[in-house]
Amino acid sequence: MTAAALKQPDAATAPQTGARLLVSSLEAMGVDVLFGYPGGAIMPVYDALTGSSLRHILVRHEQGAAFAADAYARSSGKVGVCMATSGPGATNLITGIANAMMDSVPMVCITGNVATGLMGTDSFQEIDILGCTLPIVKHSWIVRDAADIPSVVAEAFRVAKEGRPGPVLIDLPKDIQFAEVAQPFAAPIFNDPVEAADHAAIREAEAAIRAAERPVLYVGGGVKIAGAVDELRAFFGRTGIPAVATLNALGTIPTGAHGFLGMIGMHGTRAANEAVQEADLLVVLGARFDDRATGKLAEFAPHARIVHYDIDPAEISKLREATVAVVGDLKASLAATDPGPLAIDPWIMRCMARAQRHAARYDAPGDGVYAPALLKELSERAGDDFVAACDVGQHQMWAAQHCRFSRPEAHLTSGGLGAMGFGLPAGLGAKLARPDAQVVTIAGDGGFMMNIQELATLRRYGINLKIVLLDNASLGLVRQWQSLFFNENYSEVDLSDNPDFVAVAQAFGVEAFRISRREEVSAGIQRLLDAPGPCLAHVVIDPRENVWPLVPPGKSNAEMMEGA
Amino acid sequence: MSDTIHIQIDRADGSLQRLIGLVERRGFHIDGLSLTDEGVMRRAAITVRGRDDSRCAEVLRRQIDRLIGVSRIDAVVMQSEAA
Repeated sequence: MTAAALKQPDAATAPQTGARLLVSSLEAMGVDVLFGYPGGAIMPVYDALTGSSLRHILVRHEQGAAFAADAYARSSGKVGVCMATSGPGATNLITGIANAMMDSVPMVCITGNVATGLMGTDSFQEIDILGCTLPIVKHSWIVRDAADIPSVVAEAFRVAKEGRPGPVLIDLPKDIQFAEVAQPFAAPIFNDPVEAADHAAIREAEAAIRAAERPVLYVGGGVKIAGAVDELRAFFGRTGIPAVATLNALGTIPTGAHGFLGMIGMHGTRAANEAVQEADLLVVLGARFDDRATGKLAEFAPHARIVHYDIDPAEISKLREATVAVVGDLKASLAATDPGPLAIDPWIMRCMARAQRHAARYDAPGDGVYAPALLKELSERAGDDFVAACDVGQHQMWAAQHCRFSRPEAHLTSGGLGAMGFGLPAGLGAKLARPDAQVVTIAGDGGFMMNIQELATLRRYGINLKIVLLDNASLGLVRQWQSLFFNENYSEVDLSDNPDFVAVAQAFGVEAFRISRREEVSAGIQRLLDAPGPCLAHVVIDPRENVWPLVPPGKSNAEMMEGA
Repeated sequence: MSDTIHIQIDRADGSLQRLIGLVERRGFHIDGLSLTDEGVMRRAAITVRGRDDSRCAEVLRRQIDRLIGVSRIDAVVMQSEAA
C-alpha cells in the first residue's frame, strides 16, 4: 500500500538468529513494553530478550497478557504487544485477541510454534493458531524464513495501526527462531498514508445536515481511534447538534457538556435514546450500529436519514442503509465538514429539557452502599487523571452511566466482546502506559475472579493500580435478566461462597480493605486514591440492585424500563 | 438469487481459508468455488447466496476487499439466477 524504503544497517553484519532478529525488529518498531509468558516453543525468543531494551512484563496467564497489551494500546495510542508459547499459551491469548478485534485495537501477538517439520503432525503443544484465530485477526503470518522476520514485523505493525486498527498475529516456528540469518538487519519503513477527505461526499453530508430539523450526532469509538476528538468537539460546538455516545465513545464529549445526552442503547439514558428515536437525521461518526446500541434494529431511529462517516467502507450500509457515506479518516473529514448555521434551537431545547427531566438521582434510600453514587464520587475525586479500567457486568454499566469522563482514554471497557476478566489486566496495562494517571480497575466479583492471578503481577512490578471491587455475591447482570425475563428462576448466579477478597489480595501482597456501609464510602475512596501502592477496596453491595434504565433484549430503544 | 465474486488472492498461509471463512461467517452459502493458478497469485470465483434476505453481497464484497492479500476483485458482483 505504501512504498517501503530499506533502512541501512548500522549494526554488525554477523549472523543473527531469528529470535534475535525478532527482538531487534520489535525494538526498531519502538516497542517499549510487551506482555507475555514463556514456554517451550518460544524459548529462543525469551533467550534473546535478555539484554534487549524491551521491558517484558511477566503475567500469570496469557489471557492477562493479551488484555494488558490491549489496554496498553488503548491508553498509549501505540501498538500493544503480547507473546506466548505454542499450543495452550497461544490458545489462552484467543479471548484477548477477539477483544481487540471487536473494539478495533492495534495489537501484535507473537506466538511460538513447533518446528516447521513438526507442524501438521499433532506434535506436543502444537496448535494451528493461525487457523484458530483467522476470524478474530486483521491479518496473520507464519514466518517460514527467518530472513523475513524484519519485514513481517514491520508489516504487522503497519497493518495493526493502519485504517481501522486491529490485532494481528505472527506465528514463529521454533526452527525459525533458531535459524541463523547472514544478512544484516533491515526493517522496511512505512510512511503513514495521508487520508484525504472526500469533499464531494462531505458537501452532500452538509446539505443533509442543513436540511434536518432534528439532527443527532451518534458518536462511536472510531472518533477516539482516529484521534479526532478535538475535531469532534469543534464540530459539536459550532453546529450545536445534540450528541449521543456509544459505550466505547464515552469521554469523546465530556460528561455534562451542554448538548451531550449521554450513552445510547440498552443501558443508555432516556434522553439519548428518545432523541435518536425522534431524530430525522443521524450523523454517525465511527460507529457500527451494534445491537446493544440500537436495540431492535428495524425500529431504531425510524424517521432518520443516515449520514455515515467511517474509515472502513465495509461498515457502510452493513446494518442500516446510509443516505450519505463519507469514507475516510474522521479527523480530516470532520475538520472539513461545516454545514453553516443551523436553525435547530427548538430541537436542542427539547433534547436538553428531557435530559434534565431524566437526570440520574443519587438519593437512594437505605444505608447500604449505592454503587452508582460511589462510582460518580470516585471519578469526580480522581479528576482529569482518572482512568477507569472496567470489567464486564453491572458495575461496567454503572461506570458508563455515572462516572465523569473528560477524555475517551479515561474509559477502558470491553465493549464489543464483553469479556469478563478484562478489568484487572487492563488496569495494569493502562497504568504501565500512563504511569501518571490515576488508573482504577472497576470490577465485579464474577469477572475479578477470572483473572485474579494478575494481582501477583501488580505486586511483582509494584504497579500502582487501584481496584474497586463491587461485590454483590452474584453474577449480577445475569441475575437481573433472570429476574426480569426468566420468571425469577435464578440459575447458577449465586456467588455467595466467594472467598474473602480482602484476605486474598493481602495474601498476594496487595493492600486491601472493605467498605460495607454508605457512610464509609467517602473515606474509603480517599484511602484508595491516596494509597502509596496497589490497593483494593472491597465494596459490599446489595445483590438485589439492578441497572436502570434498561431496554429489554430484542426490543426497541423506545421501550425503556425503569426501576421500581 | 446468487452472486459470483471473482477475486485475486495471494498464496500466503491461510489466505484461502481466510477468504472462505469470511464468506461463510458473514452469512452466505458457498454454492460454487473455483481456483486457478496464476503464478504468484491465484484467482478464485465464489458463487454465494445469502442465508437470509438481510445479507447483502455488496457489503460482503467490501468485507472481502479489506482482507490483506486480496489484490483485486474484478467482476464486482455478477447477478445470476440461482438454480
